[in-house]
Amino acid sequence: MAKEYTVTLKESIRVNPSTHFLSFYCPEIALNALPGQFVAISSNQFLKRPFGIAQVDKDKGTFSIGVRIVKDGTRYLATSPIGTEFEVMGPLGNGFSIEKDRPLLLVGGGTGVFPLRFLQSYAQEHSIPFYSVNGFRCVDDACFIDGERNSNCIVATDAGDFGVKGNVLDALEMIPFDMIRGSTVCTVGPEIMMKHVASWAESKGLTCYVSLEKRMACGIGVCLVCTCKTKSDKEPGYENKRCCKDGPVFLSAEVIW
Amino acid sequence: MVDLSVTIGNVRFKNPIILASGTCGFGRELEQYIDFCSVGALSSKGLTLRPRQGNDGCRVAETPSGMLNSVGLQNPGVRYFVENDLQFMASLPTGVIVNVAGHSTEDYVEAVRFLEPHREFIDAIELNLSCPNVKEGCMVIGASPEALFQLVSLVRKETTLPLWVKLTPNVTDISLTALAAQRAGADAVVAINTLLGMAIDVKTRRPILNNNTGGLSGPCIKPVALRMVEACASVLDIPVIGCGGISTGEDVLAFMIAGASAVQIGTSTLIHPSACETITEEVVALAEDLNISSISEIVGTLNLWR
Ligand SMILES: Cc1cc2nc3c(=O)[nH]c(=O)nc-3n(C[C@H](O)[C@H](O)[C@H](O)COP(=O)(O)OP(=O)(O)OC[C@H]3O[C@@H](n4cnc5c(N)ncnc54)[C@H](O)[C@@H]3O)c2cc1C
Ligand SMILES: Cc1cc2nc3c(=O)[nH]c(=O)nc-3n(C[C@H](O)[C@H](O)[C@H](O)COP(=O)(O)O)c2cc1C
Ligand code: FES
Repeated sequence: MAKEYTVTLKESIRVNPSTHFLSFYCPEIALNALPGQFVAISSNQFLKRPFGIAQVDKDKGTFSIGVRIVKDGTRYLATSPIGTEFEVMGPLGNGFSIEKDRPLLLVGGGTGVFPLRFLQSYAQEHSIPFYSVNGFRCVDDACFIDGERNSNCIVATDAGDFGVKGNVLDALEMIPFDMIRGSTVCTVGPEIMMKHVASWAESKGLTCYVSLEKRMACGIGVCLVCTCKTKSDKEPGYENKRCCKDGPVFLSAEVIW
Repeated sequence: MVDLSVTIGNVRFKNPIILASGTCGFGRELEQYIDFCSVGALSSKGLTLRPRQGNDGCRVAETPSGMLNSVGLQNPGVRYFVENDLQFMASLPTGVIVNVAGHSTEDYVEAVRFLEPHREFIDAIELNLSCPNVKEGCMVIGASPEALFQLVSLVRKETTLPLWVKLTPNVTDISLTALAAQRAGADAVVAINTLLGMAIDVKTRRPILNNNTGGLSGPCIKPVALRMVEACASVLDIPVIGCGGISTGEDVLAFMIAGASAVQIGTSTLIHPSACETITEEVVALAEDLNISSISEIVGTLNLWR
């Protein structure tokens, strides 16, 4: 059950010049959150800002988000001192539906790697095999690349200054298909990237989940400002679903891009 | 203890706080955040005769102390509502207001006719003649005293339920549309709906909203709303329900002093889902401080400067 909490910033780590990893104390969210869910957090702006949950520590009672500075709200969050209080709602949204007997192929772009981080920890905890592909514009833009130089993780940069040169699709083509046969693809990142990953997955016969980002207001499904188009048999041939409540995770086959 | 009850027409509400249409769905999502005992009523999302998917693309833009929305009346239609949501709303320990919108007079008449057999579950019908986000009907009708008079007169014949008319602020003189609603047989007016506005992305040189324009709501519209409530209350005999930018108990009292018999709260719920509960507590505390024993005694007590 999601609620509104006042939480305290416990830790703020600079991941790269424009991205901070923030941890907050809130045992309720730490206990209840599922991979793919998000929180809506106050800043110095009028509306709360949505961020995918990147990590939970049930023992410490903390949850973490990765924040890339875009404009005023994210700058405020990223530069807030430890101890600052925020209003948070969460966990919100549906999260990924995970079948425990299927391997996962995680495809992240930019800040999309943060919510996938949570999914990856979940996979590790539940002994679900996974393969992960993360794409960034350049090394200065990259997050979590240090501990990931192992065999089932590929990092790609457009600039080619770290990992494979190219985008996540180039990287996906490098994986021997036998390694990912039967996997469920989960992708989070820029919409155009997810669209291409989805059509790649569909062409390989893999089930694909995408996590959509829309501008939000309430975050709980009452205002209908965050909708995305999905396929429907009913008039007029599509249905506008709420990204915050019916999503943010959707089956790619359902989405009208 | 302060008596918070108010009477609008012949309907009694346990307190003057009403959740505004379009910001509380049909109540389901808010159940885990708010105790519905703490609010007087809930107004449904705007319902049209047939289902609507609303506008495409980006529907929200943040503004200083407020927001623009261009949802465009996405709703499941009045039939689906009656079959799936009305009973639920009626089961909540609060009043039920059904908000109705449409493109044409016939749409409104038919939707209200459809609701009439279910009148036992409904405390009032609120005619939304003020949505700025659909191309025909609604605000176009609601901005013209003549068109509004005709529509409300026709709808009036279809129902014995209390009929509230929600007015648009996008007019030169709101007292004219308010008077037209009263002449046509409305039991109350609700003032105001959102103000038409625009937000622009300077990089792309395009409006942020794909509908180009949207409805402005939130604390930034409160002074405009207060002025319009006062303007309506000063010419009407029927009750005025105040709405626009309310976020504190003090705001509620200000609207009531300006002439509102009750208030509606919208955008505040989007910021804090339990806002109305908090605001009700603030009203009680403030009324006690000000030695008000019954909240309705302050309605319209504004003492204008001469
Ligand atoms: C479900 C969800 C999960 C998200 N997870 C993360 C995350 O894990 N890490 C992260 O860094 N960011 C995430 N975001 C995006 C983040 O919410 C926005 O970057 C943030 O709200 C921008 O706030 P701001 O005040 O800095 O900028 P604003 O002033 O709000 O906007 C700056 C620009 O960013 C764009 N923008 C704003 N909000 C959104 C949005 N919701 N979707 C797309 N574009 C937007 C607009 O084009 C605007 O011009 C997520 C968004 C959603 C909807
Ligand atoms: C997202 C959103 C959707 C709305 N939908 C409706 C609607 O369907 N019918 C209606 O009469 N008013 C609708 N409104 C207007 C509100 O009910 C209210 O009149 C307005 O927002 C001003 O009050 P506020 O500043 O407290 O939000 C909507 C407002 C918002 C923000
Ligand atoms: S943000 Fe309000 S319904 Fe999704």
